[in-house]
Amino acid sequence: MAPPSGLHQSALPSDFEAPFPPLVRSSTLPTSLPITLPATTLRSFRADPSHLAPEDAFASVSPPRRPSPFEISDKYASGHASGNDSRRPRRARRTKDGARSQSRRRKRFQKLLWVKQSYPDNYTDQATFLENLQRNPRVQPYDFWPLVADSTVIVQHVCSVILFIVCFVGIFQERVNPASVVGVGSVATFLGWLLWDWWVGQESQAGAVDGIARTRSIGGGVGVGVGVAGRRAAPYSEPRPPRRQDSSSLGLPAHNASTTSISSTSNLASAASSSSNLLQDHYPNNRPAMAGYYTNPNPSNPNLLIPGHAHSRSFSSLHSASSQTSATSPAHARQSTDGNGDESRRRAAASPSSSDGGRGSLRIGAIKSASLISFTLLGLSPILKSLTRSTSSDSIWAMSFWLLAINIFFFDYSGSWTGVHKVPVASLSTNAALMASTVLASRLPSTGQVFSLTLFSIEVFGLFPVFRRYARHRSWRYHVVLTVLLVAGAGGGVGMVLGTDEPGWPWRNCLLGMVVGCLITALAMGGCSWWLISLQKYKNEIYGPWDPARPIIISRRHWDDDP
Amino acid sequence: MAPPPPSPPSPPSSTPTYNIAMVSDFFFPQPGGVESHIYQLSTKLMDRGHKVIIITHSYEDRTGVRYLTNGLKVYYVPFMVLYRSATFPSVFSFFPVFRNIVLREKIDIVHGHASLSSLCHEAILHARTMGLRTVFTDHSLFGFADAASIMTNKLLKFTLSDVDHVICVSHTCKENTVLRASLDPLMVSVIPNAVVAENFKPPSNPAETSRGHAFGQPAPPARQLGPHDTITIVVISRLFYNKGTDLLTAAIPRILENHPNTRFIIAGSGPKAIDLEQMIEQNVLQDRVEMLGPIRHEEVRDVMVRGHIYLHPSLTEAFGTVIVEAASCGLYVVCTQVGGIPEVLPSHMTVFAKPEEEDLVAATGKAIAALRANKVRTELFHEQVKSMYSWTNVALRTERVYNGISGAISDAEFYGYDASLNAANWSATRGRSGVQSFALIDRLKRYYGCGIWAGKLFCLCVIIDYLIFLCLEILFPRDKIDTCRDWPRKTLNEEKEPGVR
Repeated sequence: MAPPSGLHQSALPSDFEAPFPPLVRSSTLPTSLPITLPATTLRSFRADPSHLAPEDAFASVSPPRRPSPFEISDKYASGHASGNDSRRPRRARRTKDGARSQSRRRKRFQKLLWVKQSYPDNYTDQATFLENLQRNPRVQPYDFWPLVADSTVIVQHVCSVILFIVCFVGIFQERVNPASVVGVGSVATFLGWLLWDWWVGQESQAGAVDGIARTRSIGGGVGVGVGVAGRRAAPYSEPRPPRRQDSSSLGLPAHNASTTSISSTSNLASAASSSSNLLQDHYPNNRPAMAGYYTNPNPSNPNLLIPGHAHSRSFSSLHSASSQTSATSPAHARQSTDGNGDESRRRAAASPSSSDGGRGSLRIGAIKSASLISFTLLGLSPILKSLTRSTSSDSIWAMSFWLLAINIFFFDYSGSWTGVHKVPVASLSTNAALMASTVLASRLPSTGQVFSLTLFSIEVFGLFPVFRRYARHRSWRYHVVLTVLLVAGAGGGVGMVLGTDEPGWPWRNCLLGMVVGCLITALAMGGCSWWLISLQKYKNEIYGPWDPARPIIISRRHWDDDP
Repeated sequence: MAPPPPSPPSPPSSTPTYNIAMVSDFFFPQPGGVESHIYQLSTKLMDRGHKVIIITHSYEDRTGVRYLTNGLKVYYVPFMVLYRSATFPSVFSFFPVFRNIVLREKIDIVHGHASLSSLCHEAILHARTMGLRTVFTDHSLFGFADAASIMTNKLLKFTLSDVDHVICVSHTCKENTVLRASLDPLMVSVIPNAVVAENFKPPSNPAETSRGHAFGQPAPPARQLGPHDTITIVVISRLFYNKGTDLLTAAIPRILENHPNTRFIIAGSGPKAIDLEQMIEQNVLQDRVEMLGPIRHEEVRDVMVRGHIYLHPSLTEAFGTVIVEAASCGLYVVCTQVGGIPEVLPSHMTVFAKPEEEDLVAATGKAIAALRANKVRTELFHEQVKSMYSWTNVALRTERVYNGISGAISDAEFYGYDASLNAANWSATRGRSGVQSFALIDRLKRYYGCGIWAGKLFCLCVIIDYLIFLCLEILFPRDKIDTCRDWPRKTLNEEKEPGVR
C-alpha cells in the first residue's frame, strides 16, 4: 500500500504514530499537493508537502485532488479506491455504441438518495467522494510585522503589571516613598485625563458637525450608525491590521467621533451620567427625526430598523458603561443614571447646543467621583492593612501571582473602539488585579502605604487600560511611544528593584534594566510572532457540507453587528 | 396464530435470518427521527423473518421488558439520564446486563444508533468483546471545530475502530462519518431514511380538504390554483438556531410583502419562537402568520395538507425526513441547500436556496410563481415519493449489510473487489471487513491507531473490558442464563416483496 499522505493524515495529526495506515482513501488523494500559487512569504514554511500550508486555502483547487482520468470518458465504476485499478472486476467496459448502452448497463453514480442506484450501498465514488471538502478556507496568513505590531498591546499590559509589581516591591522594601508613587501615578492619571478630555473635545466637535451632516444625508444615520457604517465598510471577517486604524484615525479623525465620546472617563462613577449627557448632547437634532421614524407605522419600510437600532445601541452602550462603573460604586452610578440621564435628556431636547455644558458637568462628575474613591480608599486602608495578617506571606505571594496571571490572561486585548466594546470590560481580569493589589497591600505595614498602593492599583488596572486603548485608537504614534515608555519604565524599574542597595548606583541599574528590558521585549515579540507564523503550517480546518451553514441575514446586521 | 414452534425455525430459503439487537438511548416514548427510524426498521426486519429486540434506557416509569406492536421486544435498562435523554457514559457498567440480554436472546448482530448515544457506543464495544457482529447507524452531522464535536468525534473513533459496518443516512453523512471516525469508505453504506407513505397522503376527499377552513378565509388546497388563490406556506420544525429560524424570521415579512395572497402556518416550539412572535407583532402579520405551537408527530400530516409549499430553512441536516414527508403530502418544497438535503428529493419537487435571506425569499417567490402557473404537478408527488422511499427497501438494504458482515455473501460481492486479490497484502480494509477476527490482539491493534494518547487509553479500556468479560463468564456462566422463547417468526414471502435491486 502506498504511504499514506494527504487528507487523512493531515486531518488527524494525532494519527501519525498509528501502527498501520488506516485508510485506503488516502491513495485517492495526491501525493503532493499542487502548488500553484504565487510566491508568498509563507511559502518557505512548507516543509512537508503532506502538510497544509495556509496558502492552500487560496489555491484554485479546493479540495486538492487529482482529477480522475476515468471520470468523464470511462464512466469508471470502482468500488475500491486502492491503486490496482486494472484488475477491478467491476469496471465498466467501454462500449462501442457509447453512452446509451452504457447507461443502461451502469448508470453513472450520482450522489442522490432518491435515485435507484445500480451500485451497492457502500460504493464509494472516486470522483465525487468528498468533493465538497474544503480545507482552511478562512485562514488568513499572518504577516510578520503586523503581528509584531499587534503584540504591542500585550506588551503594554504586561509592562504595566510589571510596573505595578515594581512599585509594590519598592514600597515593601521601603526604598520608595509611597507618597511619591501615588503622587506620580495620580499626576500621570490627571495629565492623561486632561489629554483625553482634550481629544474627546476635539472629536466631539468634529463629530457633531459630521453627525448632523450625516443625519441630513441618511435619515437614520445617528452617531452609532455612523460608527457601524464605518466598520462595515471594512471587510467583514478580516482581522484588522493596525495600519488601517492608524490611517483612519489620522486621516478621518471625525469618523467615529460621536461614538467615541460616549465613554470618556467611564471608569469613574459618573460615567453613566456623563455618557448619557454626551449622547443626548451630540445628536440633539436627531431626536425628533428619530422619534418620527420610530413611530412610523409603515411596517414594510426596511429603513425602520436603522433608527431603532441606533436607539437601542446607544442605550446598550450606556448600560455597559454603567455596569462597569457600578463595580466601583453601584449606588452612585445608579443614582446618577436615573437623575442626570433624565434631566439631561430633557435638557437636550430643549436646547440643541449644550455640548459644552455637558462636558463641563462631565468634568465635575469625574473629579467628584475621583475624590469619592480616594476618600473611600483612605477610610478603608486601616481595614485593608490588617486584612490578611493571619495569613503567611508565602500564600499571599502565590495568590497574587496567580491573580495577576489571571489578569494578564483574561485581559481584553481587542483594540476595537466601536460598538459596545469601547471600554475593556474584562471584569474577571480587572477584579483579579484589584484583588491581587488588595492582598498585596495588606502586607504593608502602614496605612499610608496601603492607601498609596491601592489607589495606584486602581489607576493602573482600572483607568490606564482605557487610556491605552484610546491612545491606540487615536494614533498609532501615541501607541508606539506609550509602548516604548512602558517597556523602558518596566525594565528600569525591575533593574532598580533587583539592583543592590548601594548608594549612587540605582541609576546605573535602572539604565541597565531598561536596555535589557527592551532587548528581551524585542526578542520576545519577534520570536513569538515568528513562532506563531511557523506554527501555521499545522493548521488544518476541515469544512464541508456537513458544517452548519452560516445564515446571511441582511436586516440582522442592523440589530447586532457584533461578530 | 400458529403455536410457536419449539425452536427457531430454520429459514426455508437460502437467506439466513439473524437475531438483531438495536441499541440506542433514543427510543419510544420519546418522539424523534432516530426513534421512529429504529422502530420502523425493526418492524420491517421482523417482517423479513429476523428476530429484533431493542435495548434502550429506562424512561421515567418505563423500566423492564415491554412488547410493542408486532412482537417487538424492548428492554428498558435502568440508567441515569445525563442530558437530553443520553445516558451517562460509564464505560463498563452496562456490560453485565448487556451480556445477560444478549445471551438470553441469542443475539448475533448488535446494531447501534445515533452517535450521541453512549449506550450504543458501549454496546458496540461489549459486543465486540463478546464476539458479536456490530453495525452502527449514524444519523447526524458534526463539525470538526468546536470542543463538543472534538470530544464526540474522539468517542466515535473509539467505538468505530472496531465495528463491522457503518450505515449513514446520506452521502454527506457518510463523508462526515468517514472523516470523523477515520473509517474506510467501503465499510460505510448509505441507506437513507424512509417515510411511511400511507401516513402522509395528500388530501383526497372533501372531508380532508375541509380542514383547510380552520384558519382565516377558506383555503382548500385545490390542485389547480388560480392567480388570486391564497397560497399557504407551511413550516414545521423545532424553532432552534440550527433549524434556521433566524432566516425564517427575516424572510417571512419580505415574502408576505412581495406576495399578497400568501400566508404562513408555523408549527413547532423552541427558544426562537419568541423571535418569530416579535416579528409577527412588529410587522402586524397576525392574520397572515399562524403559530400552532408544538404538535405531535401524528398531527404533522394534518398540518401539512393545509398548505401548498413547505419551507425548510434549516442550517444543517443529515437527511431531512420532514421534507420527504412534505413532498409525500403533495407540497412543493423550498429548502436550503445544506447537509444532505440536496440528495433527498428530485429537482422537480424542490426549489433550493442558499442559506441567505435574499436567496430564500427569491426561492420562495419562484416556488409561488411556479405554483400559480400550475407548472408543478404536486398531485403526483405522493406516488413518486412512495416509490422512492420505503422502509421495506431500507430493511432489504440493511439486511444486505447484515449478510455482508456475517459472511453470508462473499467479500467480493459485498465490498466490490476480489478478496483473493487482496488476501496477500493485508490492509486495514480487510482487517476491518466482515472477516475481521475477534482476537484481542487484533482488536488492540485497531484501537491503538486512534491517536498517540487516546490509542493507549482505548487499549486500556478494551483490556479492562475483556477482563470484565472473563470475570462475568466465571461469575455468571452462560449455561446458567436461561434463554427466552422466541416470538413466532414471520416467513419471508419472496413473491410479495418486490425486488428492489
